[in-house]
Amino acid sequence: MDAPDAADAHLSHLMARAQRGDQDAYVTVLRAITPRIRQIVRRRRAFLGESDVEDVVQEVLLSIHAVRATYDPARSFMPWVSAITRHRLADAGRHHLRHGVREVAVDDLDVTFPASTPNSSDETFGDPDALARAIEALPSGQRQAVQLLKLQELSLKEASAETGLSVGALKLATHRAMASLRRALRDTDQ
Amino acid sequence: MNTDDLIDELGRQATPASPLPAPSWRTAVWMLWSVVYMVVVAIVMLAGTSAAGITITPLYLLQQGAAVMTAITAARAALGSVIPGTAAGLWTRPAVSAGVWVALMLWNARLDARAAGTLGIASHTDWPCVASMMVGGIVLGGPLVWMLRRGAPLTPRPTAFLAGLAAVSMANIEACLLRPHAFASTVLLWHGVTAVVIACVFAALGRRWLRWPAADRSYLTAR
Repeated sequence: MDAPDAADAHLSHLMARAQRGDQDAYVTVLRAITPRIRQIVRRRRAFLGESDVEDVVQEVLLSIHAVRATYDPARSFMPWVSAITRHRLADAGRHHLRHGVREVAVDDLDVTFPASTPNSSDETFGDPDALARAIEALPSGQRQAVQLLKLQELSLKEASAETGLSVGALKLATHRAMASLRRALRDTDQ
Repeated sequence: MNTDDLIDELGRQATPASPLPAPSWRTAVWMLWSVVYMVVVAIVMLAGTSAAGITITPLYLLQQGAAVMTAITAARAALGSVIPGTAAGLWTRPAVSAGVWVALMLWNARLDARAAGTLGIASHTDWPCVASMMVGGIVLGGPLVWMLRRGAPLTPRPTAFLAGLAAVSMANIEACLLRPHAFASTVLLWHGVTAVVIACVFAALGRRWLRWPAADRSYLTAR
């Protein structure tokens, strides 16, 4: 048995243990394959920056985790990893293309209209205390969504990572929160 | 989250995950379900009157055999395609089996034309078989898609197409048993087009049905 085969057999053995719930073996496997995944990503997507490469590597690791039951310990390990990496790279490419087509880069313009009225920088709600109270009165899920997405200005993905909620659930919570806030503040105004 | 932290978190999330059974074994399980469904359909048919008039010839048996082979090879290819690193030659066997089925139907149509002096394409419509194949496609395709969802959705559309082809191949047999057909060209046209349409619908829905399991980072932060 030559060195690559021995290394593969070792990883295969560790992965089999990981499938039985051995967390140390699993971490060892993931640490061992991460540099190889990173190498594949860099080779195939040479134009990506370091942070983008890490994003793809993390996506691959998450995918490996999600489908770890599809690994058959009787087969070689690295071809299994490589296949997942290749397909996730292709998915990332398609995703990038789809969103790249829709997005248009624009300068950060301060002025939106020639008239001065709509360009007022004073766009806060008239009574910040009432707004704070209205936010506090929201159910906890909705309040959390508003705080993360509207006040801290996190992206949906970041907020999802922060809360453990799905993107869909966050969108729904935000939508409901905004409707509740509108109602509450309208009542305050009146 | 940096990659090292992610690995640690994944390690903490590593619950036991038994390896999926081999695709051949899973194909056998699905075929068993298909046979159960066919038997139920046959029992229902025997209770009615529609089974009369089917002539079992060697060519008929060969055609049904080719349809079964198409179902088996397509299901096996679909189930193999969700196992990373094993999907080489995905299309070959189902394509060959489907090709044999079409060739046998064309041969039968030629014999019909010689005997009756017509291909019989316009002799009658076959909507009951279309309906029967649609029901069969759902009843047999549903469990197959469910089985596929346990794997890695590397090629969702081709995988779903193969699942649809497998389901509709078995449904075709059920439709052939359901009512007699005077001309092979009718079967080829109505069953063939229905099979292609259903398989294409499966393919179109493939990305919706076969997604990577919820492996975004949300559950990682459940500390």
